[in-house]
Amino acid sequence: MAANEQTAPPQGMKMNNGPLKRFTKSVGAENLSLMIALVVMVALIASQTEFFFSARNLLNIGQNMAVVGLIAVGMTLVIVSAGLDISVGSIAGCASVVCALMVSQVGTVIGGVAFGIGIGILLGLVNATIISILRVNAVVATLATFSAFRGLAFLIAPGGRPVGVLDPTLAQLGSGRFFQIGEFPGIPIAFVILAVVAVCAHFVMRTTVFGRSVYSMGGNPDAARLAGINLTKMRYYIYAISGALSGLAGVIVTARTSSGQPASGTQGLELEAITAVFLGGALLSGGKGTIFGSMLAVLLLATLSNGMNLLGIPTFYQLVAKGLLLVLAVAIGQWRLARAEREQARLTAAGEG
Amino acid sequence: MKSAILEVRGVGKSFPGVKALSGLSMTVHRGEIVAFVGENGAGKSTLLKILSGDYDLDEGSVLLDGVEVAHATPLDARRGGFRLVRQEPEIVPHISVAENIFIGEYPTLGGGRVDFTAMRNTVNDLLERYGFAGLVDIEALGRTLSPAQMHIVEILRALKDGVKVIAFDEPTSSLTKEETDRLFDLIRLLRDEGLGVIYVSHRLHEVMEISERVVVLKDGVPTGDLMTAETTEQEIVQLMVGRELAHGFQREETTTDEVVLEVEHLSSRWHRDISFRIRAGEIVGFAGLVGAGRTELAKVLFGEFERTGGTVSICGEEKNIKSPADAIAANIGFAPENRKAEGLILVRSVIENVSMAIYSVLARFGVLRNREMYDAVSPYVRDLDIKTPSLDQEVGKLSGGNQQKVVLARWLAAKPKLLILDEPTRAVDVGAKAEIYRLMDDLARRGMAIMMISSELPELLSMSDRIIVMSDGAISRPVEKADATEEAIVNLALGKGMA
Repeated sequence: MAANEQTAPPQGMKMNNGPLKRFTKSVGAENLSLMIALVVMVALIASQTEFFFSARNLLNIGQNMAVVGLIAVGMTLVIVSAGLDISVGSIAGCASVVCALMVSQVGTVIGGVAFGIGIGILLGLVNATIISILRVNAVVATLATFSAFRGLAFLIAPGGRPVGVLDPTLAQLGSGRFFQIGEFPGIPIAFVILAVVAVCAHFVMRTTVFGRSVYSMGGNPDAARLAGINLTKMRYYIYAISGALSGLAGVIVTARTSSGQPASGTQGLELEAITAVFLGGALLSGGKGTIFGSMLAVLLLATLSNGMNLLGIPTFYQLVAKGLLLVLAVAIGQWRLARAEREQARLTAAGEG
Repeated sequence: MKSAILEVRGVGKSFPGVKALSGLSMTVHRGEIVAFVGENGAGKSTLLKILSGDYDLDEGSVLLDGVEVAHATPLDARRGGFRLVRQEPEIVPHISVAENIFIGEYPTLGGGRVDFTAMRNTVNDLLERYGFAGLVDIEALGRTLSPAQMHIVEILRALKDGVKVIAFDEPTSSLTKEETDRLFDLIRLLRDEGLGVIYVSHRLHEVMEISERVVVLKDGVPTGDLMTAETTEQEIVQLMVGRELAHGFQREETTTDEVVLEVEHLSSRWHRDISFRIRAGEIVGFAGLVGAGRTELAKVLFGEFERTGGTVSICGEEKNIKSPADAIAANIGFAPENRKAEGLILVRSVIENVSMAIYSVLARFGVLRNREMYDAVSPYVRDLDIKTPSLDQEVGKLSGGNQQKVVLARWLAAKPKLLILDEPTRAVDVGAKAEIYRLMDDLARRGMAIMMISSELPELLSMSDRIIVMSDGAISRPVEKADATEEAIVNLALGKGMA
């Protein structure tokens, strides 16, 4: 039998030659196609408007990326674990209001940031409880809290109206820059926060027991449980992290707009984050996806909507385009999966008769 | 001479890089039972998939009742009268047995309304005609069916109309001895009704019992077409593997005095008052009918299902095992029966699948180092001879036999004191079986205690030092190797002379 099984040509054998192939392998085919798409898109936009490469515009893209990017980091964990979190935008709304209240009423910026993240963690734990203890499907559970948490944000905000907050220190989080030396316009602080969070998350997902367990439970929850992974505990951590990062995103929205916004600025974030994670190579069925891929996709989406704004494409078209992109992202994932299954069917047929 | 109902002429099928089948010619006559045998990879499933229209063939022709069906679609094949009874029937959980049998082809009253009366009557007639009356309730929902009942549904789907040739793919893998006998009676009945019957199985003694002719395949090429009455198991095995296999596996006594597992008065939803011990170096076989509670016992010991009473001790120390994580911490390993559903993470790599149960052992402050993972995993991948281009290969892209070894490697890497194996050789070919037996013997030699759940009597008899028979949630007194005979085990399994 040993001889028979060898007849199945192992896929990937032919991959190990040539620098291009090696590069493809280390970056991943999905990520490479994202990079190519990004380059093509930048070339297209830049050829239409020279304003694209201006310092102000690039800073703008960096700042816009931060909010969606932070949420997409958490969403990557959630989706890799075969879950979904639709409530992220609403959590960000709650956090935005809570942060603004803390800063304007109590006068503590650190407190504002901490409470913003804290309410995010709390609401994430609510999600995990509904999913793990009440055994409600993740999509339904977070669709419910998507509505409930948005309502909560309006309830917390006095009179349901935005809470103004004029604090220069807090504003730095939204529009401040590091390394503003001479001609160099600097790097937005919000973008630096995203970069630090993404690098940490990348490390956690790749090299820690927690990260590897997220991949295992997403790929096959039953097998993961039988290998000693506590799924309930994992879900609490995962949704709490997603909540915390949504909370942080909400804080940045407050900082940028100088007001605690129950809705404006945090609506539709779930759609963008979910689109980015799927576009970044994650599978709806779980077990696959990387922080690197998600971040590339966030950059791609931020560039796309920036470009559409610069070219004067109306918002309505942009909404349609975003919807189409989500379908496209998941369809590509399904197509990859189907191809892998065909491959396996072929191997099984060839290897086992 | 009986007339031919199915003629296969010079059929070949290639997949990129592999010739799965070539130059196969054979004939099935009306009222004849023909067995296909061969190791995994020999081309049996490929042939069945060509006949059922799942695969298109590359060369040759197939005549079904005189009609060319070489390039048939699955629907054409079905309409033409070829029916495949699959090894793992697809049963829809939330609809009745009758609807499951007629799924996709409901009889209608007109206006698209389903004729439930006609459906029930037909199913009742079928149950009566094929001797299944009373064995399955036609109103029962799919999810409540036992594996044997699922098979009945699958068989009736095949038989309900216009069948000319029926093929059984490993039909007895989840059936007990009694159920197998009943299946054989049915197959003989179908033969007598003039159908062509194809019987595919790894179990040669069954092939010898039921078939009239045996077609042997090796590496996609037919190596024999023999009358069953004129051949022997030995000869068939020789044609399959090109070498003679030693009959059965001989083990030496390796049992020591050290008790590894001690279970006292264990009870659960499925079990009452179960007490037994397994010592280091000992393989204890668990026999019993499907549904007797053996897999459930393994899962109770492993913390997956709740224990409601009694104690479990490992090496003299009482352990309160409440989750698989507790069980792993108590040095217990468990390779489940259903490897794809409960064992493997198909979209992840070999290295992750093998090391996932020992992440916390390998990690320092929660961080895993690649080097250490490789060092921990590679010896087992090498020992078990897992064929993979690299440790980073996705497990879903390995062949079935190698996937099974990945699950075993996971538990060997965890170095358990007690290893629970649930049907370790289910749907495994002759060669891989021998490898797994050798491995079990080796582990026992090195002092591991092994609990082996198996439905194959020859395997239980040759591998076990003692055999415990389960019946309806209770266990027999252990049967010592010297006293173990097939008859004794079967009688205990049927609940005769339980302790």
